[in-house]
Amino acid sequence: MHSLIQLSIVVLLLPLLSFVILIFFNRRLPRRGDFIGLGILGTAFGISAYIFWSVIVQAYDPAFRIAWDFTWIDLGNVPGVGPLQIKMGVVIDNLTAIMLAMVTLISLLVHLYSTGYMAGDKNYGRYFAFLGIFTFSMLGIVLSDNLFSIYIFWELVGLSSYLLIGFFFEKDSAADAQKKAFLANRVGDIGMWLGILILYSQFHTFSFEQIYANLAAGNFGLSNAWLTAAGILLFMGCVGKSAQFPLHVWLPDAMEGPTPVSALIHAATMVAAGVYFVARIFIMLTPDALHVIAFIGACTAFMAATIAITQNDIKRVLAYSTVSQLGYMVLGLGVGAYSAALFHLVTHAFFKACLFLGSGAIIHAMHHEQDMRWMGGLRKHMPWTFATFTLATLALAGLPLTSGFLSKDAILAGAIGFAKVEGGGIYYLIPVLGFFSAMLTAFYMGRQIWLVFFGDSRTHLKPADTSHQAHHAHDTHATHADAHHSTHAVHEVSWNMRAPLVILAALSIYAVYSPDPLDGAKGWFMKMIPTPATVVGAANPQKGALLTSNAPLHLASVVPSSETAAPALAATPVAAEHAVATAEHGEAKGGHIYSDPRQAEIVHAGHAAHFTAIYISSIMVALGIIMAFVVYVFKIIDPEKTARLIRPLYLFSLNKWYWDEIYDATVIKGSMALAKMLSWFDAKVVDGMVNGVALLVKKFAFLNDSFDKHVVDGMVNFTAFTVNTTGAVLRKLQTGKVQTYVVMLLLAVFGYFIFYFTRLIY
Amino acid sequence: MLSLIVFLPIIAGLVILAVPSSQKQIIRIVSLLAALAQGVLAVLIWKGYNPALPGITAGPGGSPLGSFQFVEKVPWISLHLGGFGSLNIEYFLGVDGISVTMVILTALVSAIGVLSSWTIQKQVKGYFILYNLLASAMMGCFVALDFFLFYVFWEIMLLPMYFLIGIWGGPNREYAAIKFFLYTLFGSVFMLLVMIALYFSVLDPVTGNHTFSLVAMATQSNYIKDAILGPDNVMWRYVAFIVLFIGFAIKVPMFPFHTWLPDAHVEAPTPISVILAGVLLKLGTYGMIRINFPLFPEVFHASMYVIGIFGAINIIYGALCALAQQDLKKMVAYSSISHMGYVLLGLSAGNSEGMVGALYQMFNHGTITAMLFLLVGVIYDRAHTRQIDKFGGLASYMPVYAAVVTVAWFASLGLPGLSGFISEALVFVGAFSSPTTRYIAMVSVLGIVFGAAYLLWSLQRMFLGTRKADAAYDLQIGTDGHEHIHFHDWKGKIDLDGRELAMLVPLLLITLFLGIYPMPVLGMLTSSINKLVQVLSPVVMSQM
Repeated sequence: MHSLIQLSIVVLLLPLLSFVILIFFNRRLPRRGDFIGLGILGTAFGISAYIFWSVIVQAYDPAFRIAWDFTWIDLGNVPGVGPLQIKMGVVIDNLTAIMLAMVTLISLLVHLYSTGYMAGDKNYGRYFAFLGIFTFSMLGIVLSDNLFSIYIFWELVGLSSYLLIGFFFEKDSAADAQKKAFLANRVGDIGMWLGILILYSQFHTFSFEQIYANLAAGNFGLSNAWLTAAGILLFMGCVGKSAQFPLHVWLPDAMEGPTPVSALIHAATMVAAGVYFVARIFIMLTPDALHVIAFIGACTAFMAATIAITQNDIKRVLAYSTVSQLGYMVLGLGVGAYSAALFHLVTHAFFKACLFLGSGAIIHAMHHEQDMRWMGGLRKHMPWTFATFTLATLALAGLPLTSGFLSKDAILAGAIGFAKVEGGGIYYLIPVLGFFSAMLTAFYMGRQIWLVFFGDSRTHLKPADTSHQAHHAHDTHATHADAHHSTHAVHEVSWNMRAPLVILAALSIYAVYSPDPLDGAKGWFMKMIPTPATVVGAANPQKGALLTSNAPLHLASVVPSSETAAPALAATPVAAEHAVATAEHGEAKGGHIYSDPRQAEIVHAGHAAHFTAIYISSIMVALGIIMAFVVYVFKIIDPEKTARLIRPLYLFSLNKWYWDEIYDATVIKGSMALAKMLSWFDAKVVDGMVNGVALLVKKFAFLNDSFDKHVVDGMVNFTAFTVNTTGAVLRKLQTGKVQTYVVMLLLAVFGYFIFYFTRLIY
Repeated sequence: MLSLIVFLPIIAGLVILAVPSSQKQIIRIVSLLAALAQGVLAVLIWKGYNPALPGITAGPGGSPLGSFQFVEKVPWISLHLGGFGSLNIEYFLGVDGISVTMVILTALVSAIGVLSSWTIQKQVKGYFILYNLLASAMMGCFVALDFFLFYVFWEIMLLPMYFLIGIWGGPNREYAAIKFFLYTLFGSVFMLLVMIALYFSVLDPVTGNHTFSLVAMATQSNYIKDAILGPDNVMWRYVAFIVLFIGFAIKVPMFPFHTWLPDAHVEAPTPISVILAGVLLKLGTYGMIRINFPLFPEVFHASMYVIGIFGAINIIYGALCALAQQDLKKMVAYSSISHMGYVLLGLSAGNSEGMVGALYQMFNHGTITAMLFLLVGVIYDRAHTRQIDKFGGLASYMPVYAAVVTVAWFASLGLPGLSGFISEALVFVGAFSSPTTRYIAMVSVLGIVFGAAYLLWSLQRMFLGTRKADAAYDLQIGTDGHEHIHFHDWKGKIDLDGRELAMLVPLLLITLFLGIYPMPVLGMLTSSINKLVQVLSPVVMSQM
């Protein structure tokens, strides 16, 4: 076993250890054992950082991939298949190394932050236990080398999300939200599960490597439509977990959980797991499946952005912005901008975690006030929070010099390139929605910054009754929340909450990722995570087979190019070898050649569109910021008047496009009605038939009884009666008088004669 | 060994017969000792079992005993009937992978049931005598390899169950008991007819006599060609398969023969519900695997999709009915129907993955549902109601109970890491891989969502949030200033007490262990199932 594999297993199991210790013993430990969670995560991060160092920094190899597995279930010698085992295992490649470091780092920072934010909660120890099992599950997804174990950890992540959303379970809203999250995720999961089953039924394995090798060799027994279906079904898992349209409804409600949880799970890591999963299955997605993914992503990005502009809850704005940004990532994968999408995953994780933790600091300082309408002026009281929050906001809005600019631009450039290659028309809708959402993002984040940090405090404007309600709703978990509501009490948070903010904000600066503030493609991330070559090339499946037979799967993609090289050339083994040989120094040129002409064209077009994307997105972002200034800073346009003016649109956005109402009226009410109906059917019809048969048998038995009494027994009695009557009649003849007998004798003789003679005559 | 494990409870019952009925504690302890001894024997059997030997059938040219283990075979009844020849009934016990897992499950659930019966106060002596009779009969069913012996155990089982529900049950107990009794009897009458027909159709290859041996019956070459159930008599073989299937389907219970189950569960006392759901339902599917399918493989093959459709109906229909229930115990009863649907679906796949999944699901459903019914019993003991809406916020006041319920509920909804997930996953893997049942599997996955829906919803209504206005309990401020829960006329511990934990913790640990490392059970199953799949496959059949 490779030493890095051993280390990665240690990283995986450490948070589980934290969970086990804390769930059973937290009450017996000093400080409820929070130091154990923190220490274990620190160790896990240290090891992950070492793995990152070894894999990415020290000796980068584009084809780096080590895996280890063991037989988990041995089904023996299965008739028709042969020896069959279900294996579990871990894999480390470049992407895994980056994700490991990212997840453990954010988890560590959230652990640290929570020691301040959650202090005094009655279930403080349990909280850290839940963070532990979440981190374990998330790392499991990252390290899995097969679909089955990804599905297992996928569900476990859902469980930890359920537990943490409902952490304040006395609140009905929290209990509703946790159930909603779990069920919405399960809807996505059954799709994902069916996708897994389609692949398993063909290859009898769950392993990524074996599935892709089989696909590349053209062993897929069903039609291509099934393969597209498999891709879309697997993507459904992402739709659930990454809160894509139309299953996005759970994520905003998930904000009922403690804010650090929102940062860790519902912004940085778990929701990104869907995107990570699509990246893992990227090479088996057919062009049709990718189109679906791209459109879903674009719709999500746009829809969530339009909702975010009218929300008043500071966390909900961020939640919808998360949905929107996840839409960008999915869009990126759909259009084939693989590196850009994953790049955005990482940059978004840091700046969004920073935003959520910042909003947590604000909520903490404001004594659990979450409504931005009653905030304002916090800039002076919370300078650290203000600075870090603003930096992260700039990254989210995609302003130059930030990480968000690099990654978002790369996605949008890819989208333009994609639209060009696919022949324009409807496909231009994807970049258009992307750019429009960029503008909206800039607008709603400008609005948020202004409402929270600038102007004067509006705490006193808050209507009294809502204040009471909000206070009441929160006092269950915050024993110290009963301090008086006033800005006098607002103060900067303590160091353990400030340090994570600073670190995360620092990671939102462009320099961490790329030397060129305008081009992420020149940075280390996008160079190291190149788009892998598809194994289901639409044009010519044989090509894929040829390539993979000559080079490892991940290697096949890293093929440098010049503008003149025809894509088809790469298909020949010579070209592939040449490509591999020159891969190391060819990267700087940007642009790769792919075995699949479509992929190659899209990447080329994406690069060509790089500056177009920068220009358009800069204009859009500037427009958004100007609009935010016009409305909130210069107050040229009154937002309330505008809202009244376009009331239907405003309500449409405020009520989140009415998705909750639609689902409630259709799916939920429908299921409940069906359940009630079936329950009635069961009790009345099915059981009614059983009881009916029983009744019938009973009736028949009574009938039988009366038949027995009257007919059968009647016949018996009738016989007796007949004998009796005959006897009585005959008895009359036995008179004992000789005269009677003589008369009867004569009558008999006479009768005989008559009979005899009549026979003679005729 | 097997005779001992079967008859131990009956011996305990005889001992109890000699104990005066006032000595309740002695009666309980004798039963517990018998159950524990049964458990020890089950562990010995598990240890001594060689998983490489498949069992199932003797196979052409194989030993007449097949590769069954722990075999005990002696002539039992031998009658010479003149023209009919002779009637040979054997006392024939043995286990293979299919039955050994069920033996272990039965021993486990029986022992848990004894602990759960500790609180029974009414006619303790009679109760435990019947209970031990039931435990013996169940065990006997799983190890009998002679059809006649199997039938005898099957019928003996009915009697104590009838009285246990009819005397120690809830308010509507007589209706439920009679319904259960008649329904099952209805099924077993058909079984009797098929059994006799089979007897006259099969010859023991060694002695040349007619036989009731299930091992001989599972080998198609032992059938007399033109006998009533011989290979030529296609129509009668179909009829026999169908009526036998209905007999077992009633026990499963399969839609539309399931309505006795919710009634029986709602009326039965907690330990009997545990036995009913934990073991008795498995006898239905066990009968299918042991008798129905291998004896009529070609009919099974022709009817796979029908069985699959009924499995899918069970899964979805059961889950939706569970969603609508107000009574917690009824909800759990319908969840049993839904979960037994997975067993049917897995069997209908006819491949190793599906059948291993089905068998494993039988085991897991036994442990998980036993837990669910015990947990329902815990709250019913305290609150004297099971209406889901009469609670709310229990997690704050009964944290240990809430934690155990959460784990059990999640086990039931198939959370990875707990055993139910692996069996359901294997069932789906198998059903989807078989082209016959592929589309049925695609519909059945809806059960995963509905399953989560009713379990999470009930969890929320009972444990989360705060106390409802019309809740079945009060809150009192204790001496320490905290709120405490108070049930009317409940003197015991509010949260789980030691006895309850002693029942629940082993089941929890098993569920968790088998969810992480399933091979201890799966390893015993695989060779038998692979053999069974081979026996059932059309390729093998065409060679016969």
